[in-house]
Parts: sequence; C-alpha cells; structure tokens
Amino acid sequence: MIKVEHLSKRFGELTVLRDINAEIARGEVVSIIGPSGCGKSTFLRCLNLLERPSGGSITIDGVDALAKGTDVPALRQKMNMVFQSFNLFSHLTVMENLTLAPIRLKGRGRQDAEREAMDLLKLVGLAEKANCFPDELSGGQRQRVAIARCLAMQPAVILFDEPTSALDPTMVREVLSVIRRLAREGMTMAIVTHEMDFARDVSNRVLYMDEGVIYEAGTPAEIFDAPRKPKTRAFINRTRSLNFQIRSADYDLYALEAAVATFAEKQLLPRQAQHHLQLLLEEVLQIYVPRLKSAVIDLSVSHSEKKDLLEVVLETPGMAGNLLAGDDLEDELGLTLIRNLTERIDFRVVEGAGRLELTVRK
Amino acid sequence: MDVDTRKQGNVTVVSLAGKLDAVTSPAFEQQVRGTIDAGSHAIVVDLERLDYISSAGLRALLVLAKQVKAKGGKACLANVSGDVRSVFEMSGFSAIFELVDSVAVGVETVG
Repeated sequence: MIKVEHLSKRFGELTVLRDINAEIARGEVVSIIGPSGCGKSTFLRCLNLLERPSGGSITIDGVDALAKGTDVPALRQKMNMVFQSFNLFSHLTVMENLTLAPIRLKGRGRQDAEREAMDLLKLVGLAEKANCFPDELSGGQRQRVAIARCLAMQPAVILFDEPTSALDPTMVREVLSVIRRLAREGMTMAIVTHEMDFARDVSNRVLYMDEGVIYEAGTPAEIFDAPRKPKTRAFINRTRSLNFQIRSADYDLYALEAAVATFAEKQLLPRQAQHHLQLLLEEVLQIYVPRLKSAVIDLSVSHSEKKDLLEVVLETPGMAGNLLAGDDLEDELGLTLIRNLTERIDFRVVEGAGRLELTVRK
Repeated sequence: MDVDTRKQGNVTVVSLAGKLDAVTSPAFEQQVRGTIDAGSHAIVVDLERLDYISSAGLRALLVLAKQVKAKGGKACLANVSGDVRSVFEMSGFSAIFELVDSVAVGVETVG
C-alpha cells in the first residue's frame, strides 16, 4: 500500500532522515519507536507531505506521491494524521469540527455528515459531547475527537504522531483503547509512540529508528523480547551508558570516579550500588592497567532501568588475555573484593579483543 | 586524604579522613613508616572520618600493622563503620585486624 524507498530529509545542514526504506501493507499496524530526535515524526510528516522529502520516493497504491502534479489535499485525505496537540478548531463545536472537512472538501450534505459524525463520536465514546467546544473537554477527550475527525474523512491510512504525549497518564488509556479498537477493525495505521506496551500489543510490525534511519525492524516479539542490534537493545532495556577510554597507567582515577558518580546520581542508583561500582572499577583497573603496557582499555558502565542491571565492560583491543585469571597478581585481595562486588563475571574474546563483563552487586 | 597524627600518652593516634585508595595509599604508607621509624610502636588508626577504602588502602594498613609488629609494638583500628566496614568484611580483614569501637578503647588496647 505504502512503499518508501531511500527517503531522506534535510533541514539546511541538518540531515534528519538518511535512507529510509519501509513498506506498510493494507490492514497493517506499524509502530515507529526510537529516542527523541531520531526522525520518527519527520518520517510521518514526510509520508503525507507535511514535510517535503529531500530525496527518495513514496509510492501509495502504485502512485508516486512525490511526482509533479500530485493532488496533495487528496493524498492527505487518504492518509490522514492525528497530532500530539490535537489541532482542533477551538471556535467550533465537536460536531462542527467533525463535519467541516466532509462538507467542504468531500461535498457531503450536512445531515449525512452529522449522522456519520455522530456514529464516529459513539465509536470514540463522546456522543454526548457533540455540542461542546474543545476547551470544555479533557485532553483525552480532545484527542478522541481528533481521531473521530480524522475518521470522518474516511482515510485509507491513519498516521498517529505521538497521540498520547500531551496527555496525563490517566487519559492515555482512553485514547489507546480507541486506537486498539481501530486496529481490531483492520484500519491501516502508522503510529509514532513512546508507549512501549501499547506498541507491543497493537502492532503487527515495529520499526526502531535511530539517527535518521530504520535501525531495526521486526515483529513486536522480535523487537521487544529479542532485539538483535545494540542500540535497539539499549533503548528497549532503557539502558544508559558511560564510556571511558584509558590510554596509560597514569590515567586520572579521580576524573573517572567523578564521571561515574555523576552518571550514578543521574541514574538514581542506591548509595550502596554507587559505592560498589566505584570500588569495583578501582579494583579491576588496579589489576588491568599495570599489565596492559601500551594497550588501551575501553571501559563502559551501563545501567538498564528495565532489567535493573548495572554492568561494567572492559574491552582490551589487541589483547585477548583475561587478566583477572592471571597468576602474577601481588595477592588475592583485589580479586576477593571483585568477587564480592559482582553477581557475574564473564570473560570472552571478541574479534581479538578481551571482553570482561561484570554485573555489579547492588 | 587528610592524615592527622597526635600523641596520647605513649600511643600515637593516626586519624584518616577522605579516601584511602590507589592514589593516596603510597603517601600514607610513607608517612606511617616515618612515624614508626621515629619510635612510635603503639598505634591507633582512627577511621571515623574515612569515607572510602580500596584494596590499596587495606594493603597500606597491613604494611603498617606488620611494621609495628616487627618492632615489637601493637596497632589497632578504631571506628571502622559504613562503607569502610563493609570492605573490611568483604576482604576478610575484619578478622586480621583488631577493630575497636573508639579511640579511647584503642589507646587502652595498644598502650
């Protein structure tokens, strides 16, 4: 139904979309997830030409949407959009908001348009609000009106741009339940959302976007339960990382500790976990650094909020040995502390580099 | 790290504040060696204001205890608590050192 090939979008010097390739089939519900600023909303706005793409192609039912002479208003009627900020006409009643476009753009009779609008308001549970003005409604109700208004144009596809981001948590559910109902009824939808449970539940397919590309795509089970790529895993597990490179034995332990302390505070780690992390880093580096000579250590500290895991990874490019297993240690004291400070110690060789993974005991 | 040394009768009380780690331990070791060489063989190390200790710090304390013992003297650690205490427990050092609840008890113990 919709085929996107090599789509790009630049705003001046800033490239927001790089090389987007995607297809959405009729009846499919595709959720688009990813960190803020990754291009999700821009992608959606390019689909119905609210933003003009800088390159690539968009084909809708075999018709080139970017060709000269494309009937853009007709395209937008076919592929209607629900916005984060509702975009209702505040000086019109709910009924007038729903009937304005069908009457003006589709030439529908007022009675027909009002009858259909009432059916749609029943669908979203707001029939009794037909004569209210938008500012008499809650945020959740306004968004449901916006969905009904979108449906009034009988679109083939609905594009949802973060439909619940402007809502209080209590109102999110009522909007999501309307979208769920549309999904059950076979409506084709592309949904940019931060509601991961909803995306998992409602979608046939999930696109994970990062830095202007579709970084990973798959079924909800593939993306949420077994993401293959590192950035997807970090996003899904709500993992934040701190990276540090150690280049000499005279590295600045206190600069490292300060960076780790700031990271730990931002992650709201318990005090004991912070202490364990600081001590573990010092102990591991006390063993590693003197034995590395000219090699470097790539150190990463990561915290997965979802899995409640605090991990330290040391990679030593060009050196495949496990220094914790060395028998040339001055004593066992450092190792004893490391064992007590960790729940898991794992060592392996990845492409010639030693990789030591430690899960911090919290 | 701050090291404060004072005499209480024939006992030297060494109070540590801050962090005893890989960076600060060498200087601490040197300072203590000077104290022992100057004739102090009864030492209480007060850790009340010590916030952090690593294996490097534990080694420095061990060196101190061994040096004092070699001179026929005695050392103990006072006010070992919080994170520092947990490192002593993890490492097994709480069984190696004589730990006392206060400097006053320490002075009596080694004096």
